[in-house]
Amino acid sequence: MAQVQEGRQAALPAALETERPKGTTSFGSASLGRLKEAARILAPFGVLAVIWWVIKASFDISDNVLVSPWAVITATVELVRVGILTDFIGLSIQRLGGATLIAVFTAVPIGIVLGLNKNVATAFEPFFRFLQNVSGIAWLPLAVVWYGLSNTTILLVIIYTLTLPLGFNTMLGIKTVPPRYAQMCNSLGASRLRVLRDVYIPGALPNIIVGFRLGIGYGWRALIAGEMLAAQGGLGDMIFQARTANLIDQIMAGMIVIGCLYLVMDRLILQPIEDVTVGRWGVLRS
Amino acid sequence: MTTVQARAAGPGRLGQLRAASPIIPFVVLLLIWAGIVAIFEPRTTTLPPIQRIANTAWSMISDGSLWTNILASLERLVYGAITGVVTGVVLGVIAGLNRRVAKFFEPLIMFFSGLSGIVWIPLAIAWLGIGRAMVIFVIWNSVFFLVFSNTMLGVQLVPRVLEDGVQTLGASRWHTILHVTIPGALPNMMAGIRAGLGFGWRALIAAELVGASSGLGHMIYSASQYLRSDIIITGCIVIGLMGMTLDRLVLHRLEMRTIARWGMVSDE
Repeated sequence: MAQVQEGRQAALPAALETERPKGTTSFGSASLGRLKEAARILAPFGVLAVIWWVIKASFDISDNVLVSPWAVITATVELVRVGILTDFIGLSIQRLGGATLIAVFTAVPIGIVLGLNKNVATAFEPFFRFLQNVSGIAWLPLAVVWYGLSNTTILLVIIYTLTLPLGFNTMLGIKTVPPRYAQMCNSLGASRLRVLRDVYIPGALPNIIVGFRLGIGYGWRALIAGEMLAAQGGLGDMIFQARTANLIDQIMAGMIVIGCLYLVMDRLILQPIEDVTVGRWGVLRS
Repeated sequence: MTTVQARAAGPGRLGQLRAASPIIPFVVLLLIWAGIVAIFEPRTTTLPPIQRIANTAWSMISDGSLWTNILASLERLVYGAITGVVTGVVLGVIAGLNRRVAKFFEPLIMFFSGLSGIVWIPLAIAWLGIGRAMVIFVIWNSVFFLVFSNTMLGVQLVPRVLEDGVQTLGASRWHTILHVTIPGALPNMMAGIRAGLGFGWRALIAAELVGASSGLGHMIYSASQYLRSDIIITGCIVIGLMGMTLDRLVLHRLEMRTIARWGMVSDE
């Protein structure tokens, strides 16, 4: 269960989210509410930017260490204009998306098969735990030996990093579905496939989603690490190369983009999915 | 052994079989590995035979190089993790206690949580050069944000009623914090520490891959330059074992002694 807890806690600050302002009937107050919400979210960043600017201006810090917020903005604009940023964002997302598809279609079926038998599931738990502790990133050197500095290397590592938590949590989810539900369906004449579809998979869904979110958290970092090492384009490559040329403004621009992308991915895509399933149904405890 | 496994491992032969069953996937993996080596005879740079791994591991242990690297990595992990946990808990408690401040900085924390650890490596190298300081910073970064946000959440979730109740009996603010708020936030704190250390461990390896001259990450990375897959695989196994040991022996024990003992979480 620690895996699942880990997922919830790592994904955590979701729970801190305040209630959205209650909907109003008047169009005016609804958009005012949204404006207020946007201001609330942007305010601390504004404070940070001001502090940053003050530090840079008053302490005579060289441009090799810290650049002003304005420099970062201009760097971002330049990168977009030249097309590098958009290209690299696309590349990184492509890799993550492709790896996610492969991981989901491998890990979930395997997890289901392993989870259906409680003894098998229990036997595989330490195995999964061990493999997960050898994080995908640790396999990067081996992938480099096998496939050199290529896209395949990066993909392999992300797939590994995604598959493990997903498979593990799927297995856990299936395992914790109380057998009496399956037995009940069986006694009413359901076929095995039917029981799988209507009992096990819905029952395991919360765990699967949590595993997915955890996997994406790890996978995203593995993506960046892989890109840094393999130098095949992408956001990780961009910030790493920028460091070699000491372009601090580019590094920071890249970091901000990475942070924003992750936020968008997590808050706008993953969290709503989790809210609708896990938030509503809760997670079964073993 | 998890409690589930302890329960499954009942008396008698079947119980013993169940208790030993976790070995089976590893054995199967080794058999498949040996099979692939025997049938396909891959190059040793691609997939070395098991015997080769054992020999390499043994030579690295006996000449001390493995141990040196393990110690180097552990040292960085300890520094980074302890500073991360301490700063995370202290700042998390302070932030959680002052609800308005916490609410204000929430979006900032959430943003940096997604950015933690590995993404900081280039900037950390620019600031601190390659080596120990950079790795420790990256680990601190990974651990801090997770511990901080979970602690802050934990503190905020302590029911007001409990704090007020103790205060009506005459407790000072300090007493309330020490004896109500912090114990109440403990489950979330522990979960945050556990998750933070997981990310910290990964960040350690990643940081050492690109920016260190010793340690496990560096060991496997430089091995790849020489196509020494045997060293890489040995290193990966060691990394996996260490990660597991860290989690089971240190964190699990800690959880057992504190929150599980006090009945604050249902254990695995």
